Amino acid sequence: MTYWRLVLFALLATASSARAQESLQPSVNGAEGVNKPPMAKHAPPACSDPKPDCAMTIYPAFDKKGLLWVAYSVGKTLYVASSHDQGKTFSAPTKIITLSDGIIDAHGDARPKIIPLNDNSLLVSYTTRPDKMMIGTIFTAKSSDNGKNFSTPQPMLTSGGQRFDSYVVTPKGRIFAGWLDKTHAAQAKAEGKEFAGSGVAFASSDDGGITFKGKNILMDHACECCRMSAALGRDGLPVFAWRQIFEGDIRDHYAAKLSVNGDKLIGGRVSNDDWAINSCPHQGPALAVDIKGVWHIAWFTKGKNRQGLFYAYSRDEGKSFSTPEKIGDDAHAPAFATLLATKKRLYRAWKEFDGAITTIPAQQSSDGGKSWSAPQILASTTEASDHPILVESKKDVFLSWGTHQEGYRLIPLRLAKK
Amino acid sequence: MPRFRSFPYTLSLTLLSFILMIGTGRSLEFKPYGRGDFDQIAHLREQRARIIHYWSVTCPACIAELGQWAKFINDHRDMDIIFINTDDDEDRERAAARLEKNGLSQATHYGFSDSFVEKLYYEADKNWRGELPFTVLISANAPRVSVTGALDDPHFVAWLSQVTSIKK
Repeated sequence: MTYWRLVLFALLATASSARAQESLQPSVNGAEGVNKPPMAKHAPPACSDPKPDCAMTIYPAFDKKGLLWVAYSVGKTLYVASSHDQGKTFSAPTKIITLSDGIIDAHGDARPKIIPLNDNSLLVSYTTRPDKMMIGTIFTAKSSDNGKNFSTPQPMLTSGGQRFDSYVVTPKGRIFAGWLDKTHAAQAKAEGKEFAGSGVAFASSDDGGITFKGKNILMDHACECCRMSAALGRDGLPVFAWRQIFEGDIRDHYAAKLSVNGDKLIGGRVSNDDWAINSCPHQGPALAVDIKGVWHIAWFTKGKNRQGLFYAYSRDEGKSFSTPEKIGDDAHAPAFATLLATKKRLYRAWKEFDGAITTIPAQQSSDGGKSWSAPQILASTTEASDHPILVESKKDVFLSWGTHQEGYRLIPLRLAKK
Repeated sequence: MPRFRSFPYTLSLTLLSFILMIGTGRSLEFKPYGRGDFDQIAHLREQRARIIHYWSVTCPACIAELGQWAKFINDHRDMDIIFINTDDDEDRERAAARLEKNGLSQATHYGFSDSFVEKLYYEADKNWRGELPFTVLISANAPRVSVTGALDDPHFVAWLSQVTSIKK
């Protein structure tokens, strides 16, 4: 009898509460229009197989033997796979880790990476964002048996919050790492002080990525939501580029070389776009250094002085940069440039979208970026796609691009010289 | 006998749980937002000004101003304000937590449910590449404006001033 009273009470309370809730609905909501059921939380991805075709982001790299490696995540699991036929087929993927808490940072500018090392070992990096926290942790894992097994992932740092790591490897095997670091921002917050953006931090490894030393924030106030890019200078020192928050909340770009001791950055502002904005562009720069030591950089801006996708070079290691040159067709929303410098040529590719079709135009330069061939479309899709990445093997240059409809594609660049 | 007792017991507990859930405010739901949805969402209702605000949990500037949006809604009850979360489903729970923490559970929310984000950006504004926060301001009495940046962005302030002054 008691239970039935409870049921009756519950039913009455339900009806009453529902009426009360109805009257509480705000008149300001604009919920009309799109009449669809509420979104299920954690809806399964359209494709959940552990293969590159199912990844939102893919990072490619060729090893010294000419084998293509890719790092990618599907859901909460990180994989690597290799291809001996230029991406047509892949080996069975090696699972590196499945997260029990949080997510793998693999969206837009953020993605896991694989770095083939000189001794034929492999280093993998990825960033996690825990469920209840906004900051990330960068992890690395190493394989010394051709990608069959990886070591237990180790955090680069265990506090502060890090994202957007990038790596370069010198001919002697030293690995340089750079990333955006929220440690100083967290300290400022704890002290009740304001702090714009992230720090820019660096470290190096002489044991093939097992340990990193000299972890240090060398500059503050980088834009925290855009990738950092890295390239190896002619003198064996790494060059990095990122979006910096200058005085007045101006989010323009900065490029700098790490000093020999790893304790100083030597470089300068890339351009005065004057993009004064309190926002996240979600689009970091591309960087390449050519055989003559010239720095090449491409970036996106909506500044007062210029808007769109741009390219410039520096012949004096960041002291000055050439006048920014516009890339792509503004009518097709050019974005997400990628640069690659080989011994003979410089390449650039980017993404364009005309409202229906996404294309990847590309150009090459044989005179260090002074002049470029006519843009040539390398690939297209009518569905979702990853950012384009240019990657070099011993013999060739390729566009690496994952698209929802066509899957993963590795396309050799066959560009007309003019 | 225990079986007869267990049914009403279970039923009453279920109903009470439901009451507690709706009694403490309806749970936050994201309507799916895909290609083709922008035009419907941007359509004015009864000539009320309409603000469509895109945001993400990976955008600190977006999160920092969520509290201000709650106040803005309260101060502008004559406008329709729609929030669109641009994250993947993986981040949706933390997006919901952020909204609830900032008193925005009762607002109208959509979430990107289409991975062809370039198309979603393009439909809202041909020049939008995904930078956030991004807000589209629509009114019958003023030109449509797209603003990259926070609530205090001069373009936002100017549009609001224009729309408000026309009403007066």
